[in-house]
Amino acid sequence: MLLREVEYARPASIDEAIRLLAEHDGARALAGGQTLVNVMKARAASPDVLVDLADLAELRTISFSADQSALEIGAMVTSSQIVGSSEVEVARPILAEVASTIADLQVRNRGTIGGNICVNDPTNHFPPLLVALGASMTIQGRDGERTVSAEEFFLGVYFTAVGEGELLTRISVPTRSAGTGDAMTGITLGAHGTYIVSAAASVGSVGVRIAIGCVSSVPERATAMEQQLVGGDYSDAAVKAAAAGLGASLDPPSDVHAAADYRRHLAEVSAVRAVLQAAERARG
Amino acid sequence: MSEPTTSRTVTVTINGTMVEREVATSKLLVHFLRDDLDLTGTHIGCDTGNCGACTVQVGGEAVKSCMMLAVQADGLDVTTVEGLAGDSGVLTPLQRSFGEHHALQCGYCTPGMLMSATALLEHTPHPTEDEVKVALQGNICRCTGYWNIVEAVVAAGKSGSA
Amino acid sequence: MTTVETTKTAALEKGTAKGQSVPRKEDRRLVEGQGTFVDDIKRHGMGYLHFVRSPYAHAKLGSIDVSAALELPGVYGTLTGDEVAILTDPFFQIAAPPGAAVKDYALAVGKVRYVGEPVVAVVAETRELARDAAELVEVNYEPLPVLVDARKGQDADAPILHEDCEGNVSYSGVWEWGDLDAAFAEADHVVKISELHFDRFNSTPLETNGALVEFNRGTGQWTIHTNNQFPGFAAIMMGPAMRVGLDKLRIVTQDIGGGFGNKITSHPQLVVCCLLARKLKRAIQWTEWRTDFHQSMSHGNERWFHDTEVAVKADGTLLGFRTKALDDAGAYLRYEPLGGVIWAQVAPGLYRWRNIRLEFTQVMTNKAPVSPNRGYSRMQHLWLTERIIDIVAHELGFDPVEIRKKNYVQPEQMPYETPNGCVYDSGDYPRALDIALDLVGYSGLEERRAEAASRGKLLGLGIGLTLDSGTNNFGQSQLINPDLQFSGNNEVATVKLDIFGEVVVTLGTTPQGQGHETTASQVVADIIGCDVDTVHVRVGHDSYWNSHAGFSGTYASQFAVTGLGAVKGASDMLAVEMKKLASMVFQCSPDDIELADGFARIKGNPEAALPFMALGAIVNANNAGFPEDPPTLNCRFVYRPPFDVPDKETKKGQLTLTYATQIHACIVEVDPETGVYEIVDYAAVDDCGTRINPQIVEGQVMGATAHAIGAAMWETFAYDEDGNLLTPNFYDYHVPHAMDMPPLKTGSIESPSPFTSLGTKGMGEGGGGGIHCVCAALQDALRASGGAIVYDSHNPYHRVWEMLQDPGPSRANVEVSAT
Ligand SMILES: Cc1cc2nc3c(=O)[nH]c(=O)nc-3n(C[C@H](O)[C@H](O)[C@H](O)COP(=O)(O)OP(=O)(O)OC[C@H]3O[C@@H](n4cnc5c(N)ncnc54)[C@H](O)[C@@H]3O)c2cc1C
Ligand code: FES
Ligand code: FES
Repeated sequence: MLLREVEYARPASIDEAIRLLAEHDGARALAGGQTLVNVMKARAASPDVLVDLADLAELRTISFSADQSALEIGAMVTSSQIVGSSEVEVARPILAEVASTIADLQVRNRGTIGGNICVNDPTNHFPPLLVALGASMTIQGRDGERTVSAEEFFLGVYFTAVGEGELLTRISVPTRSAGTGDAMTGITLGAHGTYIVSAAASVGSVGVRIAIGCVSSVPERATAMEQQLVGGDYSDAAVKAAAAGLGASLDPPSDVHAAADYRRHLAEVSAVRAVLQAAERARG
Repeated sequence: MSEPTTSRTVTVTINGTMVEREVATSKLLVHFLRDDLDLTGTHIGCDTGNCGACTVQVGGEAVKSCMMLAVQADGLDVTTVEGLAGDSGVLTPLQRSFGEHHALQCGYCTPGMLMSATALLEHTPHPTEDEVKVALQGNICRCTGYWNIVEAVVAAGKSGSA
Repeated sequence: MTTVETTKTAALEKGTAKGQSVPRKEDRRLVEGQGTFVDDIKRHGMGYLHFVRSPYAHAKLGSIDVSAALELPGVYGTLTGDEVAILTDPFFQIAAPPGAAVKDYALAVGKVRYVGEPVVAVVAETRELARDAAELVEVNYEPLPVLVDARKGQDADAPILHEDCEGNVSYSGVWEWGDLDAAFAEADHVVKISELHFDRFNSTPLETNGALVEFNRGTGQWTIHTNNQFPGFAAIMMGPAMRVGLDKLRIVTQDIGGGFGNKITSHPQLVVCCLLARKLKRAIQWTEWRTDFHQSMSHGNERWFHDTEVAVKADGTLLGFRTKALDDAGAYLRYEPLGGVIWAQVAPGLYRWRNIRLEFTQVMTNKAPVSPNRGYSRMQHLWLTERIIDIVAHELGFDPVEIRKKNYVQPEQMPYETPNGCVYDSGDYPRALDIALDLVGYSGLEERRAEAASRGKLLGLGIGLTLDSGTNNFGQSQLINPDLQFSGNNEVATVKLDIFGEVVVTLGTTPQGQGHETTASQVVADIIGCDVDTVHVRVGHDSYWNSHAGFSGTYASQFAVTGLGAVKGASDMLAVEMKKLASMVFQCSPDDIELADGFARIKGNPEAALPFMALGAIVNANNAGFPEDPPTLNCRFVYRPPFDVPDKETKKGQLTLTYATQIHACIVEVDPETGVYEIVDYAAVDDCGTRINPQIVEGQVMGATAHAIGAAMWETFAYDEDGNLLTPNFYDYHVPHAMDMPPLKTGSIESPSPFTSLGTKGMGEGGGGGIHCVCAALQDALRASGGAIVYDSHNPYHRVWEMLQDPGPSRANVEVSAT
């Protein structure tokens, strides 16, 4: 419950935050603190300097890109904000649907989407969802901005494309067009609990994107299954047939909640359910 | 310019009273409340942010004070269970409802439950049973099985304001 | 949808406080955040204690270096096992040999035996600093092979935990009543079950353990503010170990954030606090962390049942069973091996079979010590009896309802003496079962099953029971160790009338949410004729109050009998004294006086009335010229249930005084594709005799139900092969949250106990009913898909999926033979 001594700064601008992160060894950004403070309580990590992003108002906005093709979500937007956002409701409601099932209200009130994906805990909700939605992430450092795709973003547990001295500033999610449908499902430990296995799917005009969570250190694209569904036949039988072999292609961990075999099986079942629901929503 | 330090002066309005203190930047809000300010109504039930016994309102929203540094509350309004009835000593309808519906046994989870439920009633004055359960999902109770707690919050909503 | 429906069948007495759901006196302070829990207590200059804990499940302790910790500014001092071994004696052991040879100290001495065992204590100016300093303590460990699975504890190559015990068995004994050979000869079928497993978990009260300990150098006394729930037991463990008399240990409790038995065995940590308070000349504050609690405190008994054989007649009459119970005690015997006898309080469950044989073996392993947990040791045994019924029904084609009703002890047989001499005082099990089935919608079961099947779901109904034996006869301890000098039971209350007419009650109990201040007030108010609001019950326990005895505390479902029995006794005494005093004033016979509405008055003459204040003032402050032998208006009563020591040869005797029952029934729906299941309907019907406060009783039933559902579905203390606990926090040890709870219906009947002064029965533990009925419901649901036999008390989704995938192994566990 008790933290080691730590230095703390509360910059007023993104540039200042980046400077602080770059100048101090062992500096870490502090977003909602719903993971970082816990990790520090357990002393599993002890950053030397915390750079609190709380005052960076520009990271707290949800808006549309200039051409309206993407929803731009600031890294410091909380899950609760996503749940209540009219922009999200119009442009990509699955984000709110999923955000509303993360942990509990208190955690959603403080936990941010940026923190959620920077942690990239395999059980987290947003990483597989954002992979399925084809989102991209904008990272800012001293040398300016760069944008990476969701798949390039996730590199391992607590390990992403955000380098030292850099800040994730926003997440861009393509806005929904007619004929698209998204869904996320899985098996949790209790209602709104930690995922044991999750699957997110997005059905669109160009096919389906499927990402599985909790089966490795990054969200796993179910590319073979996607390939089999390119024809657009989302019947029960077709989707089930496409999922066959998905489990075998995975190498999930075993833990107290599920053995690897069970996870393989759940991955197939969840992928099928997510695709069927997404397809149904795509039909409108 | 803000340079990193290991202690800071914070100004927090707690239960309506402005408090200015020097605190270590590593101190959790829950320990600031309990140890420094003697507001021991806010409890601790876990090490990992799961139990909600430490729930308070910060800036009008329910948060778990064990996952927030005291310095992060700088400049904000904080309400704890001690601030519900306030100095008047008149219990809120929600507090009364907890007693009427036997929504507490040992009472250890109760302050956190009350703070989560108060925040709910402020946003949603007449919640349904399902809305109450969602709002209390972050608060563990080991004594009651929740049924009476849910009933007490729904009843408080029916009876009027929080 | 949450529905709470209470079937009220007992009429409440009008105009009396008893039997009414009066508002709880405790609630006001608790909803205002003004309760006093142990971590709320502060003293000037107190030092915060942090334990250095073992990262190994089994290791030899080498050198310990605390110098770096001591050098840190703000560190007040440390305590090591070497010091403890000099300053104290090992804790008294309840066990006879071989368990008697266990040497258990407040800190690890020589060896560590489980992950999380306290090795060194560090005290510093702040909580943070104590933890920083603890990280600087250097301990050398020499790891040893680890014993995790109790089933391997007696293997030739098993690692030995306690060398002095010459093996890992702490207790073994054979318990046999009736004529097993005759029963099996008479049987038409014998059902054999090779292995059943009752899982390890506990009730995880939301507040962890803690203490604030002060030492008075002048008097040599410690004041121990703590949330220990059985101070009587803590004191008799601590005093001899610390080589001091019990008057040196003042134990004080106030509000306690849940206990459920898990706060009985904190005596080792309390001893550490005491030694440090003396050594460092300052108050010591210790608050256990959640992770520490999970790793080290009071796990429930994990138990296997091997080679169970059941003798059944063709018509479904159960004649008896034999089995071998293997109990896992963990690393130390902190309350064990009492679990080796406690189950015998409910040896036959609710059933009439007369022939029972159980070979009990308890083994020590490199896991956290077990200690009482809601439903202590009976829950495991009742789970066995309920599993037996449902497996027999499943295999022989009996209806689970009918076979229960056929074999239940019948109401007209009450009081019923069990094969081992226990007496079930009262109850109507068939009726309680009918009410439960009704509440859960049993009549429409087959239609619901079909409807669920049409949605691709498997639906099942299960029944489970709790037989809540309350008010222990501690003489049963002599059945596992004949040399022990414990028997009977007691509890104390004092009730006095003070100067201004205040009625003040002190208790020896340590409530953790059971509302003792309220129910005690109700009993007092009725007897001395005043309003509940004018009765003041002191909060908690304080061994300075002279209102405690050797068994004082709150545990084992007994307050309604022992605590309230003491309150009633003291109140009756006070009423007599008040009448006597009033009769002296009015110059009449005490028989002419009645106590009502806060007055002592002459019957039929309301004008002649003395307010309680006058009585209190006369005795306490205005007593010159008072006649000889005046009443004191300060009455102390020790309630002692009428027990004999059980027979050590036959192992027969009355082990507890009362038997409350709960019948639980539930309906589950299983998703056959994933093993995920949901409880869609749940009912619990309670019979605890006369209810003093129905709302409090119902609250206890609800709490017990939630614990059982948690244990059935999510809660487990699972270890890896190196002895690391895999569920040391509320992430991995998932306890039910609000959205996880099924709709609940409750009902009740009242069968007053003929053995208690108020007709009450102890209740509140009620452990397990939900575990039994979820197991039964799953087995019923799986019948349509492979017919697996549920063999474990804990059934997470993955286990259900495995049973669906391959029912073979579970089915191979059971064999039926005709004789
Ligand atoms: C009890 C509990 C249960 C939870 N269960 C779930 C769950 O089931 N599913 C789920 O998805 N989530 C869950 N969470 C996590 C939660 O939803 C948050 O997403 C998570 O805690 C991280 O967000 P944060 O804003 O709190 O980040 P922080 O904890 O503040 O930061 C996390 C990490 O990200 C880094 N970081 C944060 N923002 C940036 C940035 N902009 N640029 C660079 N680095 C950054 C930090 O340096 C830190 O290393 C749970 C949390 C709790 C406490
Ligand atoms: S103390 Fe458990 S969530 Fe804060
Ligand atoms: S009332 Fe005890 S934890 Fe909720």
